[in-house]
Amino acid sequence: MTILASLAIPLAGALAILLASRVSDNLRETMTLVTALALAWNVWSLLPAIMAGERPQVTLFEVIPGIDIGFAIEPLGMLFAALASGLWIVNSIYSIGYMRGNKEKKQTRFYVFFAFSLAATIGIAFAANLFTLFLFYEALTLLTYPLVSHKGDEKTLRSARVYLGILLTTSIGLLLPAIIWTYVVAGNGNFTPGGILAGHVEGPALGLLLGLFVFGIGKAAVMPVHRWLPAAMVAPTPVSALLHAVAVVKAGVFSVTKVIVYIFGIEHLFSTPSSGWLLYAAAFTIIVASLVALRQQNLKRLLAYSTVAQLSYVIMAAAILKPLAEIGASIHMVAHAFGKITLFFAAGAIYTASKKTEIGQLSGIGRRMPWTMTAFTIGALSMIGVPPTGGFVSKWFILAGAFQADNYVAIFTIITSTVLNAAYFLPIVFIAWFGRETEGAGAHHGEAPLPIIIALTTTAALTILFFLFNGPVIALEAQIFGGPSS
Amino acid sequence: MSQHPDDDTWLVRPATIRLLWRILWIVLALTVAAHFVIKVKGYFVIDAWYGFGAAFGFLACLLMVLIAKGLGFFLKRDENYYRGDQEDD
Amino acid sequence: MIDLLPPALILLAGALLVGPLRGHWRSAAVLLTPLVTLWAVWQVPDGVSLSLPFLGYQIEPLEGSALRRLFATIFALMAFVGGLYAFRQARWYELAAGYAYAAGAIGVCFAGDLITLFLFWELMALFSTIIVWCGGTPGARAAGIRYAIMHLLGGVILKVGIEGVYVHTGSLDIQPMLATNFDTWMILIGILINAAAPPLSAWLADAYPESSPTGSVFLSAFTTKTAVLALILLFPGEPVLIWIGIYMIMYGIIYALLENDARRILAYSIVNQVGFMVCAIGIGSQLALNGAAAHAFAHIVYKALLFMSAGVVVYRTGKRKCTDLGGLFRTMPLTTVCGIIGALSISSFPLTSGFTTKTMISQAAADGGLVTVYFLLAAASAGVFLHAGIKFPWFVFFQKDSGLRPKDAPWNMGVAMVIFAAICLWLGIFPETLYQFLPYPVDYIPYTAGKVVFYLQLLLFSGLAFFLLLPMMKRTLTISLDMDWLWRVFALRIGSALYNALGSAGGMLEDASLKKLTQLAAVGRRYLGVGKSEASRGLFARTWPIGTTTLWIAVLLTAYLLVYFL
Repeated sequence: MTILASLAIPLAGALAILLASRVSDNLRETMTLVTALALAWNVWSLLPAIMAGERPQVTLFEVIPGIDIGFAIEPLGMLFAALASGLWIVNSIYSIGYMRGNKEKKQTRFYVFFAFSLAATIGIAFAANLFTLFLFYEALTLLTYPLVSHKGDEKTLRSARVYLGILLTTSIGLLLPAIIWTYVVAGNGNFTPGGILAGHVEGPALGLLLGLFVFGIGKAAVMPVHRWLPAAMVAPTPVSALLHAVAVVKAGVFSVTKVIVYIFGIEHLFSTPSSGWLLYAAAFTIIVASLVALRQQNLKRLLAYSTVAQLSYVIMAAAILKPLAEIGASIHMVAHAFGKITLFFAAGAIYTASKKTEIGQLSGIGRRMPWTMTAFTIGALSMIGVPPTGGFVSKWFILAGAFQADNYVAIFTIITSTVLNAAYFLPIVFIAWFGRETEGAGAHHGEAPLPIIIALTTTAALTILFFLFNGPVIALEAQIFGGPSS
Repeated sequence: MSQHPDDDTWLVRPATIRLLWRILWIVLALTVAAHFVIKVKGYFVIDAWYGFGAAFGFLACLLMVLIAKGLGFFLKRDENYYRGDQEDD
Repeated sequence: MIDLLPPALILLAGALLVGPLRGHWRSAAVLLTPLVTLWAVWQVPDGVSLSLPFLGYQIEPLEGSALRRLFATIFALMAFVGGLYAFRQARWYELAAGYAYAAGAIGVCFAGDLITLFLFWELMALFSTIIVWCGGTPGARAAGIRYAIMHLLGGVILKVGIEGVYVHTGSLDIQPMLATNFDTWMILIGILINAAAPPLSAWLADAYPESSPTGSVFLSAFTTKTAVLALILLFPGEPVLIWIGIYMIMYGIIYALLENDARRILAYSIVNQVGFMVCAIGIGSQLALNGAAAHAFAHIVYKALLFMSAGVVVYRTGKRKCTDLGGLFRTMPLTTVCGIIGALSISSFPLTSGFTTKTMISQAAADGGLVTVYFLLAAASAGVFLHAGIKFPWFVFFQKDSGLRPKDAPWNMGVAMVIFAAICLWLGIFPETLYQFLPYPVDYIPYTAGKVVFYLQLLLFSGLAFFLLLPMMKRTLTISLDMDWLWRVFALRIGSALYNALGSAGGMLEDASLKKLTQLAAVGRRYLGVGKSEASRGLFARTWPIGTTTLWIAVLLTAYLLVYFL
C-alpha cells in the first residue's frame, strides 16, 4: 500500500540514519537523502491517480467502534504531502551544508527526529478522520521538540518549553474537546466532502465549535495562539525553514482548512452568521503580525512574524468560504512554502557564512553573497505578492474568492498587508544590495557552503516557476469542489 | 566674481541687459500691435477682445505667484525637515 | 514566430545582456537593443496576435493598434536616447534596470488584457524602484522605499479592481469603461496613483530628484505616461478626470514655484503636464484623445531633454539647488541651449512640439464648450512658462554668477540632448510627422495667425511678469510640505503613540497573568510539595507566554459566549 509506505519510509529512514551514523557521517547524510528521495517518489507516485479523480483510502484498525485510525487521500492532503516531501529533499541538502558549516553537535539526533517529523506530517496530510489527525498532530509537536531545543542551552530550553507548552495546552484543552463534540453530535469524524455537521450543530454553537478548532489547532498561529512560533526560532535554521515555514505551520493551516471544508462544509458555515468572526480574527492577525514584524531587528524573528501573518492569509482565505478562496488557501500554502523556505534558507546562509543575525548588520552583504541575496529578494517579492513570483498567484485566487463573496474586509486587509509587507521587506533588500558595509563588521567572508547555495537557488527558482507553471496545482485543488475541472 | 563686470561675458554686462530689456518691451508691443492686423478667433467672446492674451497671461501669472507665496507661508519648511526621521529607520 | 516576438521581450533581453557583457559589447547591447525593439514595435499588427493560457484564462500579451504603437515607439526611442545619454556614466545595474523598466512600459502598451497589463505594470514598479535607489544617498534609500510602497499599493489596488471586474463581468478585455462601481473605481485609482494624481502625487517629486543624473531621465518618461495610455484605453471621457487633471496642473505650477531643487522643479512640472493629458482624456472627444496621445509623445521628449540638461549640471557640479547654481551658460553653452529648447517646448512656444500638441487639448476644450476648463488651461499655459519655461533655465544657467565653471556635457550626453532638441523643433515645425500616427484622423491646424498671436501675447507677458516679480521669487533653502506629510510625520506619530499605548496595556495584562500564575504556582507548591528553589526554576514561573496565551483565549471565548448567548 502506497499510503502506508509513505508513513513507513521516513520511520524506516530514521532507523537507517541511526544505524548509518555508526559507520560514517557521509553515509548518514546519504541515508537522509535516500529517505527523502524515496518518500517524495512514493508520495508523488500517488499524484496521477488523485488527479484522475481516485480517492484511495485505508483503515489501519479500529480503536473503539466508530473511532478508527485510517487514511484517505483527497486533493488538499495530497498537495500538502507532495509539498512537504518534495521540499524535504531540498532541505536535506541544505541541512548538510548548514550543520557541517556551523559544526553543530548531535547531528545524528537531528537527522533522526527530522525523519520522524516528516512521518508525522505525512500522517496529518493523509488522515481520514479527526481522531487520526489529532494523533499525528500531537506526535508532530512532540517529535519536533528535540529539534527546537537542539542547541541545549538554558535560553533555548526555555523557548522550547514555550513551544511545547502552547501547542500541547491548546490542542488538549481546545482541539480535543472540539473533536469529541464533533464525534458525539455527528457520530463520526470522517473528512467528508460537503462536511458532516450540517443538521447537527447550528447557530451560535457552530461559531463556538469553530473557535475551539481554530484556537485548538495552535500550529495555525492565529493570534493570540502565535507566540510559540517566534519562540521556535531558537532552533537551527533548517528546522525553522522546513518545519516552521512548511511542515508544522502548514499542518496547522492545513488542518483548519480541512476541518472547514470537510467537517463544517463551506455552505453550512457561510449560511451561519456566527462563523463570521474567523475572518476578522485572521484579518486582525495579518495586520497586527505585520506591524510587529515591522519593528523586528532580528532577521529570523521578523520572518517568524511574517509567517504568522502569511498563515492567517490561508485562514482568512478559508474563512471567505467560497470555492475560489479555498483554492486560493491551498495555493497560498504552496506559494508561501516556496517563498518562506527560501527566506529562511537565506537567513541561515547568512548566519553560516558571517554569523550575522540582525538586520542592521546586513549592509552591503549582497555583494559578498549575491546568490543568497538574490534568492532572498525573490522570496521577499513573493511575500509581497509581486509578479513574477508564486505569491502573486495565490493572492490572485484569494482576491477572486473575496469578490465571489463580495467580502470587502478581506479585500482591504490584502491591500493593507501588501503595503506592510513591502514596508518591512524592502529596507532589508535595499541595505543588502545598496548599503555600505560597516567598518570592521567581522571577518571577510564569501558565499555560504555549496549545498546551501544549491538548496536556496532551487527554492527561489521554484518560487518563480510556480508563477509560470501553476496549472496542475490549480487543477488538483479545483477537484475539492467536484470532479476534474479547468 | 572678483572680475569687474565689464570683463565678464558680454551677455551679463549692464549695457547688454539694458538692451535686452529694451528688446523685450519692443517685442511685447509688437505682439499686441499685431492684434490690429490679425484677427484672433475667440471661442468664448472675451478671448477675442483686444490684447486679451497679454492681459490674461500677465494677470494669471501674477495671481499664481501670489497664491504660491501665500501657500508657501503654510507649506514651506526647512530643507532638513524630514531628515530627522530618515536616519533612525 | 520571429515576427511575433513581443518587443518588450527584446528590450528585456537587452537588460539581461547589460550585466554579463563588458566593454564595447556592452555599449553595443545598450545602443542596439532599443533600435531592434523599435523595429519590432512596427511589426506588431493591429489586433491580437498572441494568446497564452495563464491562471486559467487566455491572456493576450500582444495586441496592436495605432495608439499602442505610438506609445511603444516613443518608449523605445526614449530607451535608446536614455541609453545613449547614460551608457558611459551610469553603473551597469542602473542601465539594466532602466531597460527592464522601459520593457515594462512597452509591455503595457501592447497588453491585450488586464492581467498582462498588470504584470508589466508591476515590472515597472520594481525596476523603477531600483533606479531610484541607484541615487545611492540615504535620501535616495528612504525615498525609494516610499516610492516602492506607493507603487505596490497602486498595484494591489489595480489588481483588486481587475479581479472585481473579472468576477463581476467575466471579461478581462481592455475596453473603455466609466468609474461607476467599486471595481472600476479601484482600477481608476490604481492607474491614477501611477499618474501622480492627487492625493497620492507626492511620490513623484519625492523620488525623482533623489535618483542619479542619468536615472532621473529614465524615470521622467515611463511611469506617468503608461498611466496616461492606460487611461486613454480604459477611461476615455470619464468626467472626473477633467477636474483631477486641472488640479494636477495647478498643483504642479504652485509647488514648482515654491521649489529650490532644480530637478524637483522639473518633477513638479511632470505632474503639471500629465494634468493636461488627464484633463484631455476626461474631455474624451477624438480631438482630445489625439491631443493627449500627441502631448504624451512630445512631453516625453522635452521632459527628458530638460532632465538631461539638469542631469548634466548635477553630473558636472554635484549641486542641485537653485541657490547654489547660476551663471553656468558661460562654460556649458550646449547644455544651456538644449535646456532652453526643452523649456520653450514645455511652455508650448510656437515652433516647438509643445505648441503643436498642447493646443489640441485647448481646442478640444473649446469645441466641447467647456468655458472654465478652457480658460484654466490658458492660464495654466502661462503658468507653465512661468514655472518651467523661464524659471528653470534662468535659475540654473543665468541668474547670478555662482562662480562655478564646469565643463560642458560629455559627448554622449551632448548627442542625446541634441537628438531630442532636434525632435522638439521638428515636431514644432512639421507637426504632420506626428499627426499621421495618432489614433484618430487629424484635421487640426495648429498654426493659424490668430492662435499664434494669442499664445505669443500670453507667453511673452508671462515672461514679463516673471522678470517683474523676480524679487518675490527669491529662492529659499526650503522644501514644501505635501500630502505625504500625512504618512511621513502624522501617521508615524499616531502609530508610535498607539504602539506605546498598546505596549503598556499589554504589559499590564502580562503582569496580571503573571500574578495569577504565581498564585497557581503557590497552590501547586502547597499541594504537590514542590520545593521553593526548584519552583523558581520550574515550568510555571518561566513560561508566562503560555499563560498569556491561555488567558487571551479564555477572554476571547468568554466574550464570544457573552455576545451570542446573552
